[in-house]
Amino acid sequence: MSDPRNPVVLFIGQPNCGKSTLFNAIAGHKVQTANFPGSTVQHSHSRVTIAGRIVDIIDLPGTYSLNPSDPAEKVALSHLFQEKPDVLINVVDASLLGRSLELTLELLEMEVPTVVALNMLDLAERKGISTDPGKLQAALGVPVVPTIAAHGRGIKELVEAALAVLDAPARPPRLRWSRAVEEKIAELADRLPEDLSVVANKRFTAVRMIESGPTFCVDFLREIHPGLRDTLDEIRTKLEAGRGLPAYEVMAAERHHRSMKIFEETSTVRRRARRPWSERLDDVLMHPVLGYVVLFGVFLAFFFVIFKAGAPLEGVFLKPFESARSALGARLGQSLWGYLADGLLQGIGGGIAIVLPYFIPLLVMMALLEDAGYLARAGFLLDTFMHRLGLHGKSVSPFVLGFGCNVPAIAATRILESRRDRILTSLLIPFIPCSARTTIILALVGFYLGPIWALSFYVANLVLIAGLSRVLSLFFPSDSPGLLLEIPALKIPTPKSIAYKVYFQLKAFVRLAWPLLIGGSIVLSALQYFRWDKALNVVLGPLVAGLLGLPRELGVTLVFGFLRKELSLVMMLQALGTSFQDLGRMITREQMIVFTVFVSLFIPCLSTLAMLWKESGRKVALLSAGLSVAVAIALSVLVRMIV
Amino acid sequence: MTPLDKTVSGQKVRIVDIAGGEAVRRRLFALGFQPGDMIESGSRGIWGGPVVLRNLRTGVSVAVGRGIARKILVASGHE
Repeated sequence: MSDPRNPVVLFIGQPNCGKSTLFNAIAGHKVQTANFPGSTVQHSHSRVTIAGRIVDIIDLPGTYSLNPSDPAEKVALSHLFQEKPDVLINVVDASLLGRSLELTLELLEMEVPTVVALNMLDLAERKGISTDPGKLQAALGVPVVPTIAAHGRGIKELVEAALAVLDAPARPPRLRWSRAVEEKIAELADRLPEDLSVVANKRFTAVRMIESGPTFCVDFLREIHPGLRDTLDEIRTKLEAGRGLPAYEVMAAERHHRSMKIFEETSTVRRRARRPWSERLDDVLMHPVLGYVVLFGVFLAFFFVIFKAGAPLEGVFLKPFESARSALGARLGQSLWGYLADGLLQGIGGGIAIVLPYFIPLLVMMALLEDAGYLARAGFLLDTFMHRLGLHGKSVSPFVLGFGCNVPAIAATRILESRRDRILTSLLIPFIPCSARTTIILALVGFYLGPIWALSFYVANLVLIAGLSRVLSLFFPSDSPGLLLEIPALKIPTPKSIAYKVYFQLKAFVRLAWPLLIGGSIVLSALQYFRWDKALNVVLGPLVAGLLGLPRELGVTLVFGFLRKELSLVMMLQALGTSFQDLGRMITREQMIVFTVFVSLFIPCLSTLAMLWKESGRKVALLSAGLSVAVAIALSVLVRMIV
Repeated sequence: MTPLDKTVSGQKVRIVDIAGGEAVRRRLFALGFQPGDMIESGSRGIWGGPVVLRNLRTGVSVAVGRGIARKILVASGHE
């Protein structure tokens, strides 16, 4: 009888080792990559057919070791232990081999058939490191395949090696610890109760138990097996007595030195006459003065490139839709069909002409920053300011991702070690102008009032976030020891990777957001035809007309803005019964600013709220919603009084 | 023995001890920094910002906040 379960191949490696790129090359393009430690925070599954067989492949978040210290790493471990993989593909960064092997040594103890992908050989070459794969294979006792995932090199060989291991599973050889440590591990493994369900094997479980920190799992284990607790304490004490160090340090130090030794025996490091360009560039990017000049320049460039590319396109694309609308209006008149067709055109046109011209350049800029590795540098530079706001530099990456979309940004808070930092960061992310809101800011404020106004809006938004962070952090006392962030080597982003990333995001937009835009416009048309929108507008009148001083007709569009922020803008034209070019005659500059302020802030969009709920719970989601409504109303009224 | 934040950028030193709590020690170990390792002290942020340290054996660079940098005790090069 055949096994109904498909073979499971699991990708695991340290953060930023190119694991997702490699996984993508095999699985099709499903995972996003970045040059920042911890860009994959969720696992992803893919079922692929390789050489006529169905294989389940799983990509896990990167983890530095098997002792997790943030939620992303915990995801990696729980899957590693639960999925019962048939083959592990351990991706190692050849340019950081000495460190990468520490995880490899931990994984080999699981005694699951393993293939090592020696990745990023090009980067290693740049650093003058050359590793002999044959020697490494001999030292580890498992197949080693050299790869450069970013250029698609070695993928075929890696797949072949994995299939070969699937066909003839070989248990990796046991690499022994020093005698003193090996004896203690064996002793604990022997003394594990028979009824204890072990992970992988007894020896591996024993190692994990000795090394584990004060986690829930171990506490629980101790509760149900009080005898085991005493045994574990006794063995730890013996280990500690031998070296005068805590047990986990004895193990960590030994593993560290062993991987260094393997690295030095299998690799040669050439002294380079000149430091590689990436390091010299880092001297500027991380310079105490120049670094901030560059950072500011990047922010300005980010903003102006999007605006300069977007505004002309917006103008060009809008025309055909406007003429189509007037032609259609003349033909179908005031019938229900006329209304619905108009709504349809508004939705389609809004997507193409208003959203995409700004969305695509924004995606390209984000992808460039991510892939080059600039986010980690920004984290370094901004750490000191973030400290003053009650956070630290590691939150910079989720924040920057928030400019693209708040949803993945909230997921990215999983790379933060402390729960307090995760919640505070998640509460602030919905205030970051995401691509949808950037579209509104640029298409409305930028297009009508000029780029300087839009830029000031952006800056004011950032100041608001800083102020909020300051206030919120008063309620959450800091428990974080501070920044501890790996700075990956700078890389030249490959056009392929940028294109995939933009494509991936665009696909999500076309599939999810655009139908919402179109659907929303059609629903608004129907509401207008039956004059139901009036009722809604009357209910919202006191807020919209009274407090904000906006045309009463906009009430209904604000409700829809909860689904997608751009929807408010697209529907605004429809609600006011005007074209984009004539908008200036319908509402004043002041009203445009108040509208933009309110729509940008008034509530996290539905997807963001759902993500907040999932990641941090109902309380945080509701707190976020309440906070943003309060801030939006207060600020809009304030802005109305000033301008 | 001096704390890392008192070193100057470009100085090559050896980690003698990490005086932080268990969480910080574990995290630094996981990132590949342990007592005995030779490191190069790198860029530092303004206004009490973070310090970059690069492990000369593995090539790993990390940025650590000034609070942690104060707890990494280093000594000059040779063992």
